[in-house]
Amino acid sequence: MQEKTGVWATARRFFGRVPRWAYALAALALAISVPLLEQADLIQTVWLRLGIRSLVYVLLAMGLNVVMGETGLLNLGYIAFFAVGSYTTAIFSSPRLGYHVDFWILLLASTGLAMLAGLLIGLPTLRLRGDYLAIVTLGFGEITRITFNNWESVTNGPGGIPQIYRPMILGLKIDKPGEFYYLVLIFVVLVAIMLTNLKSSRVGRAWNALREDEIAAEHSGIHGTSLKLLSMVISAGIAGLAGCLFAYYQQFINPTYFEFLQSVLVVCMVVLGGMGSIPGAIAGAALLDALPEFIRQAFSRWLPDLLGEQTMDSLPVAVQNFFIEFDRYRMLIVGLVIVVMVIFRPEGILPDSLWRREVREEDPREVEKTRQKLFDFDEGHQDLEA
Amino acid sequence: MTNTRLRTILAVLLATAMIAAVSSLIGCTTDGDGDGEKTTETIKVGVHTSLTGGLADYGFAAQEGIKLAGDDLTGFEAGDKKYEIELVIKDDKGEPAESPIVAQQLIDEGVVAVIGALTSGNTNSAQPIYAEAGIPMISGSATRADLVPRENFFRTCVGDNIQGKALADWCVELGFEKVAIMDDRGDYAVGLADVVEGHLTDAGVEVLREAGQEGDTDFSAQVAKIQAFAPDAVMFTGYHREAGLLYKQCREAGMADVQFMGGDGIKSDEIADEAGGAANVEGVLATIGGIPQDSMAGWEDFKTAYMEATDKEPGPYAETNHDALVAIVEAIKKGESADPADILKNLSDVEVNGVIGTFGFDANGEFEAMGGSAGLATIVRYKIENGAWVSAD
Repeated sequence: MQEKTGVWATARRFFGRVPRWAYALAALALAISVPLLEQADLIQTVWLRLGIRSLVYVLLAMGLNVVMGETGLLNLGYIAFFAVGSYTTAIFSSPRLGYHVDFWILLLASTGLAMLAGLLIGLPTLRLRGDYLAIVTLGFGEITRITFNNWESVTNGPGGIPQIYRPMILGLKIDKPGEFYYLVLIFVVLVAIMLTNLKSSRVGRAWNALREDEIAAEHSGIHGTSLKLLSMVISAGIAGLAGCLFAYYQQFINPTYFEFLQSVLVVCMVVLGGMGSIPGAIAGAALLDALPEFIRQAFSRWLPDLLGEQTMDSLPVAVQNFFIEFDRYRMLIVGLVIVVMVIFRPEGILPDSLWRREVREEDPREVEKTRQKLFDFDEGHQDLEA
Repeated sequence: MTNTRLRTILAVLLATAMIAAVSSLIGCTTDGDGDGEKTTETIKVGVHTSLTGGLADYGFAAQEGIKLAGDDLTGFEAGDKKYEIELVIKDDKGEPAESPIVAQQLIDEGVVAVIGALTSGNTNSAQPIYAEAGIPMISGSATRADLVPRENFFRTCVGDNIQGKALADWCVELGFEKVAIMDDRGDYAVGLADVVEGHLTDAGVEVLREAGQEGDTDFSAQVAKIQAFAPDAVMFTGYHREAGLLYKQCREAGMADVQFMGGDGIKSDEIADEAGGAANVEGVLATIGGIPQDSMAGWEDFKTAYMEATDKEPGPYAETNHDALVAIVEAIKKGESADPADILKNLSDVEVNGVIGTFGFDANGEFEAMGGSAGLATIVRYKIENGAWVSAD
């Protein structure tokens, strides 16, 4: 086959040759460097706080990716598991009821209770498919939020639980943003490693098979219900873990954190990143959570700094005001980015190869690629036989 | 051959792009002021509010009120210095998860004090971060009782704890022995209802707590329970729409003699229509937290200026947010220092002459009317008489 020339094709080849673990390491190095840059006063602390929240969303997106991306079960109430984790931590580590339980116990309890919730909601509902499952999980999400909203004796209702204690880990009190950042980052890395291994294991491949064709998968000896339940429970556990860390960091929890739109946001992150792709989930979450802030900073700081004070002053007042008040329009741009992405790159930012072929099955180039792959495969076999 | 060269070029390009990206991230962190006049100093005051999301209209009113104060006060003198005020306005979308990010951003910007947050929830999630940085915050609209006392929080609005106590006191004055309290499961209504219930229980009044959901239209289940309880008064701590419907359904169920009451959420002229006619709301009692606008010292001037700037009537809490900035300036004048720690210290004993009147803050950071306004009640009682709200004092 003749190699294509041109900058784009060359760049593609160049980046294609870099092994995937190198990208992962580069991303990790970038993530590790954020608090160091902040320490050195090279970036502002707000990026660190934004980083912590983004990492929590990365956990959530990776968790939802298990059930939605890998197994193909649309869960519209995912944030409920996050709520279970958050409230478990908030209730047992705040002056609200006077408990002050150890960090590790609460971490396990938050994860465990969320898994239990996943099991309870999964058992009766996993025989449903597609839209029906989506509706049931949506209902579950709302029930959970309303329960926390109305269970005033324990959760303080809509007022929420303030003044959550800082965690003590191995005798060290975690209270600086940098410390929280690394704490969450450690769990992100652990979960990412676990899920990457799981993805290529028998279980992970069985999930993919269930997603592609449930009947065919069950014919091949895959026990659909128990595997779907496992995926639901693991995904819920990750959300519970994220909830625990989030409550400790935020020090305040109320039911408005867990509204339906938050579930939708996490679904968007997974779809935008690429269904069934762990790097995709990470990229989707980081992008969707951090983008509004980048837009805000771009218009309120970087652009005026770049143009200089004199140029700014010479601009019409309306334009100046537009820059100053750009805050209000940033979500508009985020929405636009999502729309553009879905139209031009429906498979996501960093898609899973299987999923890309699925999405692009109408695209002649992709069809050709798939055919080529199968063809090569057949030819290889013929060679072996010969 | 060409491949290797291209790769080198690409690598260089990539490295340049990364450096550019990082350096643009760093941006400019210091202000180059202070070179001009020796005595002029620019101070940044943060406005932590919600300009998008469900409470955008409140956030807009707050922002406009503060801007008016900023235009008036900039260039004020304290000690041997002249201060220019620069407002840094940031939007938290009304989401508590966005609130800490906005807080950190304002701290990074180097603000000396912050006006906000708009709601109690967002105040709760931002307050620890401001506290850690030693930045005082003054909210003009976060009324929840459990927000005070915090080491760095003040408010120019009247807290639910004060209004709740006033509602409870009123019940006791009227000699009620059984009161049904209903909320709408919202942050504000539940907070207020909790305070009223606490005070009534302490006073030996029997209380029945019920709840509806904001947006509900049918309260027959709650009405049945309230009727069985046979209270002297039915109090709704949420907003007028649900209040009107509740009162109507109580009347229809045959509760003819019961007294209807509520907090400032029900004091609206629309309540009569919502209750299906003026007859159903005749005699309803309501309290309002804060000095009534007509008795505010600077209300007329403020209203004129606000309408000139925005072509709108002053929105909710515009004047309390305006006065939050006045209070900050007063604290700077008092201490002759714009250091956050000094502002924080001096806020506890300032005497502010604002739109609301003359006021200060008590030991908990709670609004306290002083001087010429001291005689004015900070809780005003209203009553519906012949279909219109009139003062009930």
